[in-house]
Amino acid sequence: MEPSITTTRSRRLRRTSVALALFACFLSVTSLAKQTEEEKAAKAAAAQEKLLQVFVSEPYLELSTGPGRGYPVFHVVEREQSVDVLHRRTDWFKVRTEGGVEGWARARDMRRTKLADGSPFIFNLGDRAGYTTHDWELGIGGGDYGGANLIGLFAARSLTDYMKVDFSLSQFLGNASNGWKAEIGLQHVLFPEWRFSPFLTLGTGYVETSPRATIVLPLDRQDQTAYAGVGARFYLTRRFFLRADYRWHTIFTSRDDNEELEEWKIQIACFF
Amino acid sequence: MENSNRLLFLTAAACATVMLSGCASMRWPWHKEKVEAPQTEEQAAAEEEAEDADSTPPRVIDPNVARRKIKTPKIDNENWELGAGFGFMTIEDFGTNSAYAAQLNYHVTEDFFFRADLGQSTAGRTSFETLGGNIELLTGDERRFTYYSVSLGYNFLPGEVFLGRKLAMNSGFYLLGGIGNVKFAGDDHLALNFGAGYRVLPTDWLAIHLGVQDRVFDSDLLGETKVTNNLETLLSATVFF
Repeated sequence: MEPSITTTRSRRLRRTSVALALFACFLSVTSLAKQTEEEKAAKAAAAQEKLLQVFVSEPYLELSTGPGRGYPVFHVVEREQSVDVLHRRTDWFKVRTEGGVEGWARARDMRRTKLADGSPFIFNLGDRAGYTTHDWELGIGGGDYGGANLIGLFAARSLTDYMKVDFSLSQFLGNASNGWKAEIGLQHVLFPEWRFSPFLTLGTGYVETSPRATIVLPLDRQDQTAYAGVGARFYLTRRFFLRADYRWHTIFTSRDDNEELEEWKIQIACFF
Repeated sequence: MENSNRLLFLTAAACATVMLSGCASMRWPWHKEKVEAPQTEEQAAAEEEAEDADSTPPRVIDPNVARRKIKTPKIDNENWELGAGFGFMTIEDFGTNSAYAAQLNYHVTEDFFFRADLGQSTAGRTSFETLGGNIELLTGDERRFTYYSVSLGYNFLPGEVFLGRKLAMNSGFYLLGGIGNVKFAGDDHLALNFGAGYRVLPTDWLAIHLGVQDRVFDSDLLGETKVTNNLETLLSATVFF
């Protein structure tokens, strides 16, 4: 009969332990649930606080299911009603109505809404005005670097409408050697308000050259470079412009002579 | 005579009144701003009583209202899309193998976006190597096929996909074209890439892509220089931020 006693005891033990564990679980789950609810409430409140509220001042504001002209309009917000602006993607704003309906409103329509104090809702629209005045530029393109093919991308930060800091990263693939280069420079746009606008540039960089596998040359080289250049930018449409430039490089090699190289490239870029 | 004298005198008086009052309303450099002496509470109270006693009506509108400055919260821009994918790559002459890649998109307008791809695959054996027995064209390291590309994308055919009665997800096709670099068989090649993709967005911030791209470059690996087409098919997930 010994085994039976042990079984009962152990069963009881097991039961209690299971019950205890369950209770602990329940406690932790409830506390967790409470915490998450509180957190959620706090988050919602914080989100609520941060959201911008705008009022429809035209007869109505159309909401689409997606951020594009192809997506259907599924909801309409009436005049004098408000929407909360959740976020923006390209030229579309995701908004939430008073009734909690979420949809995408066109930037052009959002321009006609009003803030709580009655002033118009003003934001950066990608157009000619934005081409003159903007914070960032980003572009990709290709060209020629001392006879080698060049692939590159650049980013530029505007200090003023006229002056920009330009960062570029490119790779060149030549017959004799391949390599990378990274450059930083200043760019002076002469007439930022012109559609076709010339600019001057001056900067310094770092170039790493490695000989191609098929040709035997001593070693990889890392050199500092400096460049001066001229270029032009041409506004295409919306947020796009073309940028073409010519740069004259001096490469400070470890040999006696400095090397001189010409680079030209054309890039498609956008501003934001 | 007397009349004309009176007229002259009256005109002079009128002129003086007008001019003097005009002068008083102007600011002259030798006039100092009248500085009001700080009032004591008693004086203020006395003045208030005096004002009450006067039957001048109180001002209905106070024009000196400070304009409340409304600070507009910054709107979150979600134009960047970052993600990774897995799939396969067909390297010309070297068979089909698994590939993985990372992608970064920047959406400029609703139609156009920039894209940067970075990926890797490993080449298999050519038929020549398989049939020839103990021949190895490339070493293990040279078989690695790594590439990057920068492209311009164009969104078209936007739409929705429906899963059952309740769930609709935004979708769209896109075309891609760009340039980049392929490192294969120990050499760098300038490569052009073009392709198309299909994107489904289960939520606003998550996208699932199925894309096919051809990476074209000149190769002289097998003796003669020829254009090689390398097809890449990837299933990837990206997040908007």
